This record gives sequence, structure tokens and C-alpha cells, in this order.
Amino acid sequence: MSFELKEKGNQLYKAGDYTGAEEMFSQAIQKNPSEPTFFSNRAITRIRLENWAGVEQDARAAIELYGPKNPTSLKSRYYLAQALLGLQRPQEAHEVAIEAYQASLAARNAQSENLSKTVLRAKQQIWAAKEAARVREMNGTLANVERLIEADLQRELDDLQGQLDRGEIGQIGFVEDQKALREDADKTLQVVRETFAIASKGEVQERVVPDYLIDPITFEIMHDPVITPSGTSFERVAITKYVEQSKADPITRIPMTVDDLRPNYALKGVCEEFLNKNGWAVDW
Amino acid sequence: MFATKRLSKELIKIKEHLPPGISIVKSDTLEEWLMDIKVLDENPLYLNQTYRLKFTFNNKYPIEVQFIELPTTSDTPRPIPIHPHIYSNGIICLDLLSSAGWSPVQTVESVCMSIQSMLTANSRNERPPGDQDFVSYNRRRPRDINFMYDDDNV
Repeated sequence: MSFELKEKGNQLYKAGDYTGAEEMFSQAIQKNPSEPTFFSNRAITRIRLENWAGVEQDARAAIELYGPKNPTSLKSRYYLAQALLGLQRPQEAHEVAIEAYQASLAARNAQSENLSKTVLRAKQQIWAAKEAARVREMNGTLANVERLIEADLQRELDDLQGQLDRGEIGQIGFVEDQKALREDADKTLQVVRETFAIASKGEVQERVVPDYLIDPITFEIMHDPVITPSGTSFERVAITKYVEQSKADPITRIPMTVDDLRPNYALKGVCEEFLNKNGWAVDW
Repeated sequence: MFATKRLSKELIKIKEHLPPGISIVKSDTLEEWLMDIKVLDENPLYLNQTYRLKFTFNNKYPIEVQFIELPTTSDTPRPIPIHPHIYSNGIICLDLLSSAGWSPVQTVESVCMSIQSMLTANSRNERPPGDQDFVSYNRRRPRDINFMYDDDNV
């Protein structure tokens, strides 16, 4: 009975009726809350509905029911990482994705490519969050400086008013000096704003990813580079796909297998460091 | 899976810079691109000619070789260059365009350059042996054909 509901849910999902599908999977879960596929199917349905909190719950439930060591749970771990990204929790998403990516490689699971992309996506979001905080901080500082300049101006204007009141300067001189003070302050404000604008753009002025961090197959920045016997580094998922098919080194055409690939830890470190500072590189 | 992103990145690069004699004609979809090639030296076989290359992509790019030919039917028909490795129906017999010779590190630009230099280096005013038969009977895709590369000097 519960599996019939699941089947109905699958059909609605395929037809694009995600709300209807979600309802069917929910009914199936009510009847049988120990079947992991009900949860994982509702999770992907909720991804479509962008109900991230729901996806997180369902994906976690499915992983628990499958058993975390079970390779069948990898899909749900991929859903979970997506949910955490949707919930703006990129650090957790990164942890889930990288762990699942490793497990997927070990199990030669088809999720490796998706997970590999999710790892990069999480890195990008982590950077974006840091970047937003930095800009916010700078804006806060800018607001403080602006307030100080305004306060300074006000004090000087008050002084001027005092001089006028005490008859030390005349009305014409007062108006002229008042105008000069205002202009000075405006100029200072402009300089400060420009300086902050340059500073906040400073690091992003030249957004170029060095070629040695780019995978020659996907043309994207690498996060898990491996090296071939002939000495060229590639992103693991991409070169694996090619070598499995052609069984040869893409540069020299000398026969090789996936087992001949070695991790390139030094390059991986460089990529990581670059991405930490330049999360935009993921979308470059 | 990789195809879309990889092709859009190639396109950005191509629009920034292309080697002399190579230009992009049409790239409004990521399924089919047209490129024009000119031979730059004084080779009398190809003097003042522009040849058009058609790239047809699927989502296996760049893992699998794609269909690359000199189209005979297009809005503005272009000549098929005379070459001992180019059939008169526009099919090019070049190692790197076969499944065995293809490498995912090749790009649209590098393929164009290879074909350009293959023309530049040629001095023989002839078609491949059996050209007429091949043109009449072949229905296979070039990447499935086991061409004999018996002449590496061309």
C-alpha cells in the first residue's frame, strides 16, 4: 500500500506536480516511516519546491535509515548538502559534501560528479559570506568616519556662530566662512568615500584564475587535482571519466588506467588557498 | 555534463583572441559553431580561399570527440580544400578527430589550428585514394571510421 503511494508520487514528480508528489510521499511515510526511499524521494521533491528545511529533515532521515556507511545514502547526502546551501549554512554543506565526495569516490558511485560540484559551490558560498561580512564591517567603519566628519563640521560651525554672536566677525564674513567650512567637509567626505570604495574593491580588481589552477578538461578551478604519469594535473572527476573510456593518457596517448592517477597534494593546497580568498573563482 | 560550462568558457576566450587566419562565424547556440579558416602563407593550393568548419557538439564534449566537418551545404557554400586527407564531401581524416586520437585537452581553437597547419604543410593537389567510392557509400560518422594513417608526411 505505501509503495503504491510512492509510485503515485513518482509519477506526479515526473509530471512536474511537486506539491502533489510531496503529499503522496508524506502519506507513504505515515504508513511506513522506516522506508528510506520515501524520505529521499520527498527530499528531492522538496528541493524542487525549495523547501530547504524540509529537505534537510528528509535527507537526514533517509541517511539514518540507509545507514551512513551505505553507498545508497550518497544521493541523500547530496540532497542534504544542497539543503544546507539553501539554508545559508555553507560550512556544514562543505563538510557534508566533502565527506560524501570521498565516500563516493571510494564506492565508485555515480554521485561523485554532483558532489564534486557541490564542494566547489560550498567553497564559493563560504567565501561569499566572509566577503559580505567584510563589506558590512567596512560600511560600518565608513558610517563612523562620516559621523566624525559631520560632528567636526558642526563644532566648527558652532564656533563660527559664537564669533558672530560676540561681534568678532561680520555677517558677510560669517556666511563666507560657513560656506567654506561646508565645502571643506564635503570634500573630505568625498575623499573618504572614494577611498573606501577603492579599498572594498581592492582585492577583486583583477579577477583572473591562474591557468595552473584550471582543469584542462572542464576549464574550471580544481579542488581535487590528480596527476597523470606524464605529469599533467586534472580534476579527479573529469580525468576519471576520460581515462575510464579511452584508457590512455590524454596528452601522450600512452595507455593508462584510473589507478595510475595520483593525488597532487601541493596543487590541491594552492587551489584551496586561492579559493579561500577568491570564492568568485568557482563561477569564473 | 561538462559541455555547457566548458563551451561557454571556450567561447569567452575565443571572443577575446584567436590566432591569425581563424575566425568565429556563428556560435549562437552551444550545439553548433561555424569557424572560418584561411591558410596564411603563399601556398598556391589554398591562396585567397576561406574554408568553413562546422563543429557539432553534444553533452559528451570534451570527453568524446565531436563531429567536425567542412560543410558542403550551407547558406554560403564554401569550397572543400584539396588535400590527400580531406574527402570531397567535407569529411576530414585527421588523427585527432578520431575516437582514438582525440584528447579532451583539445579545444575548438586547437582543432582549427591543426587543420590550418595540415593545409599549410600540404603541397599535393589530390584527394584521398578512393574518394569517389567513399563519398558515394559512406554513411558512418568520421569518429567510427578506421582511417588508415599510412602517410604521416602529409
